[in-house]
Amino acid sequence: MKYQSKATAVRWLMPVLLPAVFLAHPAFAQVRAKADVTCRQAGGPLEYDCIVKLINARSSEPLSGVSLTIGADMPSMPGVHHLRPAVAIEDQERGTYRAKLVLDMHGDWALQLNLSGPLRDRIVKVLRFEGGEVGEVKAGQGRKAHGH
Amino acid sequence: MDEYLVGVLSNVGVISFVALSAYLLLLTGEITFGQQAFFAIGAYAAGIATAMWGWTLAAGLGFGALAGALSATIVGVPTLRLHGLYFAIATLAFAEMVRILFEMFRYQIEIDGEWVGPNGADGFRDIRYIFENDISGMEFMLIIYGLLTVILAGFMLLERSRLGVIFRMIGEDEVLAGLQGVSVARYRILAAAIAGALAGIGGGLYAHLTTYIEPRIFDVMLGVHSLAYGLIGGLGTALGPILGVLIDIGLLESIRALSGYRMIIFGGLVALLLIVRPRGLLDERLVHRIGVALRGGRKMRV
Amino acid sequence: MLDISDLVTAYGKIEALKGVSLHVESGRITCLLGPNGAGKTTLMMSIAGILQPRRGSIRLEGDELLGLSPARIVAKGVALVPENRLVFPQMSVQENLYAGAYQRADKAAVEADIERMYGRFPRLKERREQLAGTLSGGEQQMLAVARALMSRPRVLLMDEPSLGLAPMIVAEIFSIIAELNRDGTTIFLVEQNAHMALQVAHQFFLMEQGRITFKGTPGQLAEDEVIQRAYLGARRAG
Repeated sequence: MKYQSKATAVRWLMPVLLPAVFLAHPAFAQVRAKADVTCRQAGGPLEYDCIVKLINARSSEPLSGVSLTIGADMPSMPGVHHLRPAVAIEDQERGTYRAKLVLDMHGDWALQLNLSGPLRDRIVKVLRFEGGEVGEVKAGQGRKAHGH
Repeated sequence: MDEYLVGVLSNVGVISFVALSAYLLLLTGEITFGQQAFFAIGAYAAGIATAMWGWTLAAGLGFGALAGALSATIVGVPTLRLHGLYFAIATLAFAEMVRILFEMFRYQIEIDGEWVGPNGADGFRDIRYIFENDISGMEFMLIIYGLLTVILAGFMLLERSRLGVIFRMIGEDEVLAGLQGVSVARYRILAAAIAGALAGIGGGLYAHLTTYIEPRIFDVMLGVHSLAYGLIGGLGTALGPILGVLIDIGLLESIRALSGYRMIIFGGLVALLLIVRPRGLLDERLVHRIGVALRGGRKMRV
Repeated sequence: MLDISDLVTAYGKIEALKGVSLHVESGRITCLLGPNGAGKTTLMMSIAGILQPRRGSIRLEGDELLGLSPARIVAKGVALVPENRLVFPQMSVQENLYAGAYQRADKAAVEADIERMYGRFPRLKERREQLAGTLSGGEQQMLAVARALMSRPRVLLMDEPSLGLAPMIVAEIFSIIAELNRDGTTIFLVEQNAHMALQVAHQFFLMEQGRITFKGTPGQLAEDEVIQRAYLGARRAG
């Protein structure tokens, strides 16, 4: 056992903050996407078909040719119930993508639409999955923890 | 490395911060159900700093840590005289209060025609720093683990330092520590502040990892888990809580079949361990024994 | 050495000490006897600053200790070996000894003192790397005494050092107490074991229901009566 000075606490907190200063990249302007998501129950009770419509937030043009994966987290359980992202396939219709989600349980899920390719972005949509019912979660609607 | 694995590992890393935060307080003998509050404060503070004020990630995380430390100090002073169950309940009440305040917290500004900022129960979207600055998921994971490594190194130093000994003395017997001349109150507040900063950094990372936070994320479930991670993994070393996180998120997430039964398995594991190994897998005895073995009978450094 | 006058300590409305006055002489062993609940531990905790007395005074060679924090009181030279909470169980024997020297900055002298403690308590030296919680009751008591001595106190307070120990170990602890005193340590001891205490004490006080009811030297009062009053209290005995 070795005794060190009282300043140890301060000394060991500083290295936490300092290196992070150098991590910043310069920001650059980019295209931003907007998404509209609808999901329907398909097959099993926890299987859902989701349709995502992507548009350019500025021009409202459909966004085609984007690589899209859909992951999901349960907001009530951060860090766990992290779904393996499903790959979405673009439809005939430009800017429309389809993916199949297999959830762990019913409840509110924050869907993460991960865009890559021509633009890299993430859009988060919170949806409530309750059996056949899937709806957007709006404020004041009474938030449920999860579907146990 | 695939996207999913990066996602799971990033989650393990981020949750480790709040687990370490609860662990630090366990070291000083306090059971808290409220570290998620500082995780939340750090997440909102860092998110506001980068997404609304245009700060860099480093500055945002620093701001989150500072906000966590400050609020923990403010809570630490009035709860100083509380112990055990009373302290646990006070921290829980505070954390719930913070969560409800965030449900009412609206602060948005218009950026490029989009409203950005915390919007009550609807959450805080578009904390898009890593996308705007073209940081890949992998790079962000490395940032998380870089910071975690620094924190762990800090804990290793702490365990060998005078401050670490003081924390352990207070944790084992506060009155006895006072009788050795330790200013218990001062060090308890210091521990609370450091723990608040740790949770704050974790929250900041979480906000940037998911780009989206909402008050529900920070409910008592997260607090109970972060406490349980230390109790499962062990109180003998800072690697204990990380082991706890790995067991919970790593193991159960990797075996999807178990995922739906997570709470049952996890709860059972906590109950079992509290009976057979009350100070966790990597407890003081084991760590002490490993330490003695590593010194290999060499003359003890004094 | 230590002068206590009219000390009142209360838990809420209940006064555990109802105006205690006593004097601990330098270089001697002073013993405080009394039945359970008489307020002996309350007195020790009040001197050490863990409990805040309502009024009165505690002077160490003229310096007022009342109102000081436990840390300041240790710095003034008072060390308490408390009852029932002897050691830091998850810390090694050696770490426990360092803990006792918490306020000392003279590292070399601390090392030397630790070696001296190991000389006096060879069993602690054998177990220096062992976690203190794994020691036997007697060893823990020895470690607690050694740790208290590490702060180089001017007066050593001991609360029930014989509590829960086997008779042979109790005898050993008391011989250590006598030895420490011969080496010049002033000792103020709380005991239930009146028989052992009267063998080593130079003077003793009887405490009953928060008050000092007798003051004298061993032999001044028949041991039978002391024992009776120390265990049962005079009121019930009378």
